[in-house]
Amino acid sequence: MKIFFINLDIFFMFISGILLMNYFAIPWSYFRTIEFLHIFGSIAIMILFILPFLYTHMYESMLRMKHQSASGLLFGLILLLILISGTYLFLVGNRGGDIFGVLSYYIHLYGSFALVLLLGIHLKKHFFSRFAVVTISLFILFLPSNSYAKQEKLVNIAFTDGAKYHHSVDWTNSVTCKACHPKIFKQWADSNHRHLADSNPYYMVLENLAGMDKGKEFRQWCMGCHNPSAVSMHQERTTHFMQDNIMPEPLFTKGSQNLINEYKKNPNRLEQGVSCIACHRIVKAKPIGNSSYTLNLSKRKKYFYEDSHTDMKVWISQKLINANPQVHKNEYMQPLYKKSEYCASCHNEFLPHSGKKVVSTYEQWKKSPYNDPKHPNEHKDCIDCHMTNLRNGKFSPLQGHSTLGGKNKKDIKVHYFAGGNYFLSGLKNTENESQSLQLLKTSAKLDVTIDKNILYVGVKNVGAGHKLPTGAADFRELWLDITVKDSNEKIVFSSGKLNKGGDIQKNSVIFNKVFGDKDGKPVGLFFWRYVKLLKDTRIPAGKRVVEKIPLQKDVQYPLHVNIKLNFRIYPQWVTNIVKVAYPQLPNPPVITIEHLEKSFE
Amino acid sequence: MLRLSLLAIVIIVVWIEILPYLIPKKPKNFYSDDDLREIALSRGMHPIPKDYAKFLQLLDSKENPITKEKVALGKQLFFDTLLSKDNTISCASCHMLGKNPHNKNQFLDDISHPQEKTSCMICHIKDESGTDRLSTAIGVEGAIAPNHLNTPTILNSALAKYRMWDGSAKTSMDVIAPMIHDKYKMNLSSKELQEKLKKNIYYVQEFKKVFADGITFKNVEKAIDTYQKTLLTRSAYDRFLEGDNSAMSAEAKRGFKDFIQLGCKGCHTGITVGGQTIQKFPVRNYNHIIDVTGIFSREYIGRDVAAFNFNFKQYRRYPFENKGGYLGKDNKQLFRVPILRNVTKTSPYFHNGAVFDLREAIHIMGKYQLSMELTEIQIDEIVAFLKSLEGNVVEYKELK
Repeated sequence: MKIFFINLDIFFMFISGILLMNYFAIPWSYFRTIEFLHIFGSIAIMILFILPFLYTHMYESMLRMKHQSASGLLFGLILLLILISGTYLFLVGNRGGDIFGVLSYYIHLYGSFALVLLLGIHLKKHFFSRFAVVTISLFILFLPSNSYAKQEKLVNIAFTDGAKYHHSVDWTNSVTCKACHPKIFKQWADSNHRHLADSNPYYMVLENLAGMDKGKEFRQWCMGCHNPSAVSMHQERTTHFMQDNIMPEPLFTKGSQNLINEYKKNPNRLEQGVSCIACHRIVKAKPIGNSSYTLNLSKRKKYFYEDSHTDMKVWISQKLINANPQVHKNEYMQPLYKKSEYCASCHNEFLPHSGKKVVSTYEQWKKSPYNDPKHPNEHKDCIDCHMTNLRNGKFSPLQGHSTLGGKNKKDIKVHYFAGGNYFLSGLKNTENESQSLQLLKTSAKLDVTIDKNILYVGVKNVGAGHKLPTGAADFRELWLDITVKDSNEKIVFSSGKLNKGGDIQKNSVIFNKVFGDKDGKPVGLFFWRYVKLLKDTRIPAGKRVVEKIPLQKDVQYPLHVNIKLNFRIYPQWVTNIVKVAYPQLPNPPVITIEHLEKSFE
Repeated sequence: MLRLSLLAIVIIVVWIEILPYLIPKKPKNFYSDDDLREIALSRGMHPIPKDYAKFLQLLDSKENPITKEKVALGKQLFFDTLLSKDNTISCASCHMLGKNPHNKNQFLDDISHPQEKTSCMICHIKDESGTDRLSTAIGVEGAIAPNHLNTPTILNSALAKYRMWDGSAKTSMDVIAPMIHDKYKMNLSSKELQEKLKKNIYYVQEFKKVFADGITFKNVEKAIDTYQKTLLTRSAYDRFLEGDNSAMSAEAKRGFKDFIQLGCKGCHTGITVGGQTIQKFPVRNYNHIIDVTGIFSREYIGRDVAAFNFNFKQYRRYPFENKGGYLGKDNKQLFRVPILRNVTKTSPYFHNGAVFDLREAIHIMGKYQLSMELTEIQIDEIVAFLKSLEGNVVEYKELK
């Protein structure tokens, strides 16, 4: 009788393991349950039944009765191998980074067939009479249990019916991802995508202003891209953290420490802004803009305890993922994520009430020479610049592991999301700031000549796949700071300096666009009132613009020309307004993208 | 033996996990809109009056009749920092309101002309919440209340039976003196206040117009009291109770039904939806190791099913951080039931402001006061109902 139970146990482990093979492709709801049962069932069976039995069995047959059984010895050997490889798979996992993981996986898989074969040979005498009993019992053991499928269906009904209900539990907190992807988390934690909503003072003020001006429903327009999790919860507005009476410093805290602390205290509280799964659970994206993406949150394949918050369960869930991470990879990474159309679902904005385009970064890229699918070497997608590591001012793909123990990658797509906004990320982390600055400095080139007392300054957009500047370009300042000195070191021409209040002098050469409202007045902060385009001097991708500046007639040569192409992310007047609500906000520094000095005889 | 016990454990765990799905759900009563209204009205949940005559009927008193001039004077005092020792705090510093509650451009005005407003006020005055949106109130010279008590909203509080967290103030007039005298709030004695006001020509004239005996502390109280009585808000909920079925969304109506059926209205009742009784909190305390009413998954199970969970946490007096160690009336954890009108605007919640999230607060109330794990969907519906209680201050023409 005892031997019968032992056989049953071995077959339980064998069948449950075999079912996990890709070949069977069983439904996910069964898969995750079986994976859990296989691992933890095997541990229990091994410790409670098989090892004690094997000890007495070997002691009695080999030492006391002096039987010599080759099949028995071989069986023991293979069992040992499977035991070791199984332990390795469970504790370290098959994450792709080390050869032992792959080796363990194959030993564990094919060894089990050898093991069952040897068991048959070892038990030749009793094999067939027992075989029938074993199959019948196994059949009973694996009869599909309905309870589990029912649960998943319930979830589907609740969420697929036009996705009426979403709750904070559906939004896996980004801090959970940190455990296995610490590097990526660190890059993202100080990036602008993380700080798009509650921790971005400019956004908070503008969302409030939009709500005041157009009614509270209008906030949803902003939140669709800036704060998708709050939208899914039907929240009316973006809210900020509070710690007792103090608002935890959102501007200078490095590494999203506020988020981590909040998660420890209230793991189920909703994370605002663009979190990991806000992007990594997008299943469809149309390049239209205004959050034209499809999120699938509730129909995720989750491993056992993937959503738990207690240390023990989190530990188990990580082991389960590591042992067989393919499903996890499929769930959170799709080929779509490498295409520009994917980014376009948010990096294209138009006014919902009039269809007027406010931001058309994607469309600018589409017309640019960088969009060239016929020549793969020339073609550059968004991520080729904005998610590629920069070093010493040049693109130098980051090599190494993005996941702990994962595969060695040649080009890790970094999550600094380098771009125009060097300022807010730079307040937190100099690395994030430096990535953005390096990228900005690759974008434009200056040239200058003087002909018949006229100064010609050429600015060429050499690096950006979109207009320079792009984004909410009313609030971006790209301008020329020009100083011309004559032979006596006397300044004969000057433009583009900052005045005492921090604003750019009047009559400077500024590359931007200015929106006007229906009366033709500049819209100021209210960019949703845009009706007429008053000015557009942005530089399209690959194009060169020339500014003509007439000098005084009687200047004394040689002339010394000093030109800077300056950039500032927010104008001083915008910062001044935001500072009323966020007094701790510093002024954004002015960045020199390109500097040119030249003398003319 | 070992094998059998293992089997037993497995069976017990599996049974507990699948039990909720095996038990048929009880069909719930679905009321029609008219039934719902009838039930609410029959249990004392009345709308805030929209006409002045009914307003006077509710709040006017012979000792302190409401007049237009008195309300205007009260409003002046309410927004005046003269009422505090160091001239930094007015009533409106903690009970944040705009001087003109119907100014739609309040935020733009504040952000372009801050005028002594703190950074919090810039964004939150426009909420018209009547609270400071902080965990605990800050008084003169940055003093923090010794018990870390949260500022309740002043809106509609004139209609409540009790005020303050321990329910010590029985009438709306009783509240004013302690606010001015308390050294953690405005820290000004009656005498000092009278002297300060008498130096101000404007107040000398105004008080003369309104009261026969000019500036006295009693008259200051009376003037502020009449103003605070006018701080009533009307919302979608009131319109629904008056017969407009389209005022509340279907989800909010389901939430209202839950609110009545699950037992919330047992305490949060009356015209103010709260503030009418003093109750114990928490009623139930899950400080034992085996927690029989918890559940492994709180997503699908309502009050119909109970299961067990293990609770290894330390003993806690409240289901949140016990900041300030306040124990309520007579140190028996007795609290005045908070007013739920405008609750969506008055986070953080509970007496010490330890809970910032409304959903979390609803979950705590369900679990610790009603012993039920509310489902996420029930919480959604209750939130929708509470949103329908959110409203703007009523402007009675007669007082303009």
